[in-house]
Amino acid sequence: MFKFLKKKNKNFKAIINSSMYKIDVKSGQNLLSAALLQGIPWPHKCRVGSCGTCKCIVLKGTIKPEIDFANVLNAEQLKAGYVLACKTALKSDIEVIVKIIK
Amino acid sequence: MKTLFVNIRYLIVPIMSIGTIYGLIIGGLYIWTGVFLFGLCIILDTITKNIHLKADFDKNGNSYGIKSLQYAIMYLMLFVFIALQLALAWRIYQYVNTTAFDTSIIYGLTIQNGITTINLIGAVISAGLWAGIGIIYGHELSHNKKQGFLMSRLIMSLSGASHFTYAHVYQHHLHLGNEDDPATAPRGRNIYMHTWLSHAGQCKFSYDLEKSRLEKQEKPFLSLSNKWILGYIYSLPSVILFIWAGGFLGLAALLTLWIIANFELEALNFMGHYGLIRGKGKNVEHRHSWDNDSVFTDWFFIAIGRQADHHVRGETYFWELDDVKGPNYGIGYFSLFLITLIPPLFRKYVKKHLDNWDTNFANDEEKKIAQQF
Repeated sequence: MFKFLKKKNKNFKAIINSSMYKIDVKSGQNLLSAALLQGIPWPHKCRVGSCGTCKCIVLKGTIKPEIDFANVLNAEQLKAGYVLACKTALKSDIEVIVKIIK
Repeated sequence: MKTLFVNIRYLIVPIMSIGTIYGLIIGGLYIWTGVFLFGLCIILDTITKNIHLKADFDKNGNSYGIKSLQYAIMYLMLFVFIALQLALAWRIYQYVNTTAFDTSIIYGLTIQNGITTINLIGAVISAGLWAGIGIIYGHELSHNKKQGFLMSRLIMSLSGASHFTYAHVYQHHLHLGNEDDPATAPRGRNIYMHTWLSHAGQCKFSYDLEKSRLEKQEKPFLSLSNKWILGYIYSLPSVILFIWAGGFLGLAALLTLWIIANFELEALNFMGHYGLIRGKGKNVEHRHSWDNDSVFTDWFFIAIGRQADHHVRGETYFWELDDVKGPNYGIGYFSLFLITLIPPLFRKYVKKHLDNWDTNFANDEEKKIAQQF
């Protein structure tokens, strides 16, 4: 009945740590939840963009920040291209670097 | 059919809020509609307290909730809450200008003009009770995308509480369960004290957060980039409206509305985490929040009572939050709210639940901290 309201899926790929992992990020998903769902031990704590634990650097591609990262990341981190994976939606395929602790 | 049911069950607040506005416009005894409906909710919540439902997913694990529809409703609620304030301001205008008591028919509606003092009190309480419910949308939208975040701030600013959006995400979610979070009430604190302490603590945090952000971006504190200041500017239209409608009386009415609304907001914080403990910097687990998921509470408060799941999966939409077997008072928010209003009764009621938490949920570090209370 309400199918016309459902958004058509637009999925992208994320390459993590120079092809160490490759994941699909579905429309509506953020980078962190997609990674966790696909079994990647991405560091995280709050999942709402307040702790900064899930930060990563975007090397290639375009993202859509879902909050202002400057509330959590410091000036150097912002300058270095850090983003918070839990509040990052994708606008294209991307490549990222994250410190994964196994 | 299931999709329809899952999506319309969260319409209790929109329907009742519009009912409250209707009562304010119709006038006479209908002014008290908001108070009556709130009382009705207490009864419905109490008699359905033992019904607990799980979140609904189809056989593929997909939610029946339709994001675009739920978001449209939440966004539209901003305009419903604006209409609520306009209706109250109109009644205040009538009172101050001693509008004659008569009836008029507008678009087929029989409206009683003029308002007595006692009905004006009813109007302020009705509007305050339902303005405060705006927190459920302000809360949900605070966790989502940028435009949702702004809508959250606008909804909260109607209750003079736009600081909430920042404090909730950047302070409460990070520090819940320890003294760095003013929204977590430690054991022994009552709801009245908590309201002021939590409100002041969150305001201060929002100020500090914005100051720090602006410094990082090398922007001046006194500017329109300052979101802490902007939050208060968003509340200015309400202030101007009520002063225009009734001068000092209008301002007093607005302040009363804000006090009622903020009391409800802090009551939700109070009930969500009272007495629970978490070591500083430790991961947030299900045990660090009280769940209130009886059926009426769940549908009315758009699952805000599924706190245990929400605090672990903060990015999850309300219609996907589920029962995760966290600590649970076993009754809904309306019933519990009544109990919290009488602090000795609340302390007596909550003792067995805290004892259970200490025994069955807390880890060793948390037990040690609990002994200090």
